[in-house]
Amino acid sequence: MPEEPLIRSATLSLPLSLGGGRVTARETLVDQERALDRFLAGIERRALRIARIALRDHAEAQDAVQDAMIRLVRSYGQRPEAEWRPLFYRILRNRITDSQRRQKVRGAVMAWWPARDADQTALDPIESAVDPAGSPDQQLEGAELLERIETALAGLSSRQREAFLLRNFEGLDVAQTAVAMGCSEGSVKTHYFRALQALQQVLGELK
Amino acid sequence: MTDERMRELELKSRAAFDESVASLDAATRSRLARARAQALEELRQRRMSWSSNWVPVGAAAAAALVAVLLWQGDESGQPASEPALAALEDLDIVAGGEDLDMFEADDGFYAWAADEVSDGMG
Repeated sequence: MPEEPLIRSATLSLPLSLGGGRVTARETLVDQERALDRFLAGIERRALRIARIALRDHAEAQDAVQDAMIRLVRSYGQRPEAEWRPLFYRILRNRITDSQRRQKVRGAVMAWWPARDADQTALDPIESAVDPAGSPDQQLEGAELLERIETALAGLSSRQREAFLLRNFEGLDVAQTAVAMGCSEGSVKTHYFRALQALQQVLGELK
Repeated sequence: MTDERMRELELKSRAAFDESVASLDAATRSRLARARAQALEELRQRRMSWSSNWVPVGAAAAAALVAVLLWQGDESGQPASEPALAALEDLDIVAGGEDLDMFEADDGFYAWAADEVSDGMG
């Protein structure tokens, strides 16, 4: 039986393990970065539209999505990929809430000024509502339909709107929506059902 | 409200939403791609910052450990063990901040070195 070479002592095993370990760790980091890139690329457009509907301001929505991307990567990049989606929307939701608070304060301040700016007008769901006395043959499809839905969504409570956007538009299941909204699954079901009821009342029969 | 009407509302509103997502303009898509790149760049920066902060600390801790091992060898009147001395040499490499690429993927060299030592002893 051949004798085990003494050179298998720490002299060679440490560099080997260091070198091998370093390559593996580097590959893991590259894989993680690619996975994050894929995930964000797959979610960013829908996230922007959702933020746009919630904030009714395109630039604010872009900033909110960008912040949510950075915060997800920074704080949860190491978490399993399956958790990213609800976590991303939780971050985005918090960011949207912050923006809405700022909008509200800005709106209150601007109300003291005699002239109202265009943003404020757009935020008013009554003023921006589509005229229900429009043509009965009007085909409410595509952008026009979405505009109506957005206007109707603006009249819901924030929790109902969140439940509808996350469940129906983003397609999160009840458990994922609960994570994103920071509430129980039962609350998600209630908010979602009430949102559907309210939208049905406002929108009537969709053609 | 019936389930059918509720389902219809869900389907039609989602279809309108999907259509609006698909029709996002090029400038907006480009801005999103830049935002994504920026988020990932921050990840890289943080990793680099983390490693530059902690590698010296790890090296110092390893040096302290080896020093203790060597000191214990002297205390007992025995010379420091061969593995401990070898580990000290390895530590020199690590703490010296040398490029470790020379140790990567050169299995042939190590096989040759092992054969040489084995032959020398045989």
